[in-house]
Amino acid sequence: MSNVLRPYLAAVRSTLTAALTLENFSSQVVERHNKPEVEVQTSKEVLLNPLTISRNENERVLIEPSVNSVRVSIGIKQADEIERILCHKFTRFMTQRAENFVVLRRKPVSGYDISFLITNTHTETMLKHKIVDFIIQFMEEVDKEISEMKLSLNARARIVAESYLTAVSLSLNCPYI
Amino acid sequence: MADINFRKIDIDQWDEDALHESELYEVDPRDPQQVLEEAKARQVAVRSSLARSDISGALTTALESAPYGPNVEEAKTITLQTLLTILNSTKSTEISGVVKTLSPDTQDVLMKYLYKGMAMPGWGDISGSVLLGWHEKLTEVAGVGCIVRTMTDRRIV
Amino acid sequence: MAPEVYALSQNPITCHAFNADRSQVAVSFNNNDAQILERRGSEWATTETLAEHDKLITSIDWAPNSNRIVTASQDRNAYVWEQKQDPETGKLVWKPTLVLLRINRAATYVRWSPKEDKFAVASGARAIAICSFDAENNWWVAKQLKKPIRATVLSIDWHPNNVLLAAGSADRKARVFSAYIKEVDERPSPTVWGSKLPFNTVCGEYNSPSGGWVHAVGFSPSGDVLAFASHDSTISIVYPGGPSIYTVRLPSLPLVSLAWTSEYSVVAAGHDCRPLVFSGSDQGWQESGTLDDASSSKAASSGFGGPGRLKSNAFATFQNADSRGQSSGNVADTKPNTVHQNTITSVRPYDAANGEVSRVSTSGVDGNLVIWDANAISALTGRLGGAQLR
Repeated sequence: MSNVLRPYLAAVRSTLTAALTLENFSSQVVERHNKPEVEVQTSKEVLLNPLTISRNENERVLIEPSVNSVRVSIGIKQADEIERILCHKFTRFMTQRAENFVVLRRKPVSGYDISFLITNTHTETMLKHKIVDFIIQFMEEVDKEISEMKLSLNARARIVAESYLTAVSLSLNCPYI
Repeated sequence: MADINFRKIDIDQWDEDALHESELYEVDPRDPQQVLEEAKARQVAVRSSLARSDISGALTTALESAPYGPNVEEAKTITLQTLLTILNSTKSTEISGVVKTLSPDTQDVLMKYLYKGMAMPGWGDISGSVLLGWHEKLTEVAGVGCIVRTMTDRRIV
Repeated sequence: MAPEVYALSQNPITCHAFNADRSQVAVSFNNNDAQILERRGSEWATTETLAEHDKLITSIDWAPNSNRIVTASQDRNAYVWEQKQDPETGKLVWKPTLVLLRINRAATYVRWSPKEDKFAVASGARAIAICSFDAENNWWVAKQLKKPIRATVLSIDWHPNNVLLAAGSADRKARVFSAYIKEVDERPSPTVWGSKLPFNTVCGEYNSPSGGWVHAVGFSPSGDVLAFASHDSTISIVYPGGPSIYTVRLPSLPLVSLAWTSEYSVVAAGHDCRPLVFSGSDQGWQESGTLDDASSSKAASSGFGGPGRLKSNAFATFQNADSRGQSSGNVADTKPNTVHQNTITSVRPYDAANGEVSRVSTSGVDGNLVIWDANAISALTGRLGGAQLR
């Protein structure tokens, strides 16, 4: 974690804090229903402007606030093919277990790798700044996780290659290079 | 036979009480052509302010009566470009001081442009780290209230 | 004087209303029931549960003189509760009367008129129902204020003359209506808001400055000034005679509830978890401080105590700043340093002295009910910046 990441996470933190000003809001369109307005998008006046925070094309966060829910979508850094595969596997693992993560959305918003849906029920039952902390922590962990997985994948590939080539060199009956 | 997809018809779009996007803000009374000319004029004024290294003056000029609403895309682009030249040429140590001299209105508009810039990474000479640096300093001075106003204000720049 | 804090529940308090002598309070803990709590020393004990609604209760109001409670809920209904003798046990119990609201969306807010012969129910049906009692049929009937409301009405407040009504709604406007009902009201004398006032006259319409939903509205004690707080973190004070509107922009999160304490000051609170005080006159308005003197409690709980811990604290501060983008130095930041630990949902006058409100009560999402001294204002200086990024 470098100092470069700090302004990015600070911006996400302050924007999330501003967006998490939710209240219980009953649907204006459907009788006796209470839906996350950011998902149904039926009443324009209770949606707010979506905001994007980005470091570059790859690393960006989309925050879509509304009166009773906020959708947070994260684009995770993917430098090469391996990171892309790892990121896909990782987010798939998470979204398949979405109910255990409470605020996780089952499907990411298009163009992003993972999405969270925070509703007024969450801000009522959990402390607001803890939810913000969770998202921020997730953002820093996921980068770390993926680069660690990449390292261990490379290490494994090296071991496999080494043992395979050992067998080859033995069968040819010549010393290592 | 009637259309089989009748269940999927969005009947709520004919609800005459519902608010539409265009009714959520007051339309800019100015003519798009006039807005464009004003934006170009400001671009020149900003250059001369920058030459005198008067950053706060340049920012105030650039953000004054910023174009909003539809039909003024070109003016918006010019204003964003003008703003980016100011933002990119300011030393990071000076940002705090400059932001403090701005009026609350200008701070709100500046916040809108910072988010607009961040929403289009890679466009023109946008640099994520510069925008994030400004965002941090502006939030310190104007508070999260400024971000909330960026979210609520439909006069999108 | 330190604020009195009562932790009533682990669940959020949606709304609260005290009775006339402040010995009882009606609250709803974010569910379908309203509870009547009675003060027993420094505790509050539940004496009765008002269970009739089948969806979340959004608002409660207790008429001080006629001792009637009205509750509004997302099930589109409102009930008026009166204390009656139970024919079998002879005890006094609260009995509901249904109100014919004729709205088809949630009821969001309810307030008795000053004379307690009417009440107004705001709703998500883009209408406000003005209810009065029909003695012939023994029920409450409603007349609707509809035009020109375009979205859910979030809050209402009665003018002291019992006729005018202010409403704030999600279509970004605060409005003043006439809720004059011929059968109930006497002809009102002219006010700054207008002189001829048939039902549904719009006496004023004000946009929120940066397009936020209007969360709270309130007439000043004289009724000549209107304050409204909106989701763009602003509070606006309207002088209709003036014609001027003063807007105070906040650096903090939006306010959702407000109460006038005198003709020259307003207490407002919301997502920032602490009540703020605004003061001014027809010459201008500004924020004058907060009732929540967080600096004293923070000094006691802050981790920068002994010199031995300084190093690890400083280290953790930098580590946090580096890895999580936390700008405040408080590492063990498990709770916010405000009295309310979460959003304040409601601010109401509690106690009056010399014609001014001397104490206000607030309830919040953290389940606390707090009674504040409205005059113990402490300055906000030096707490900008880091404090807001929590």
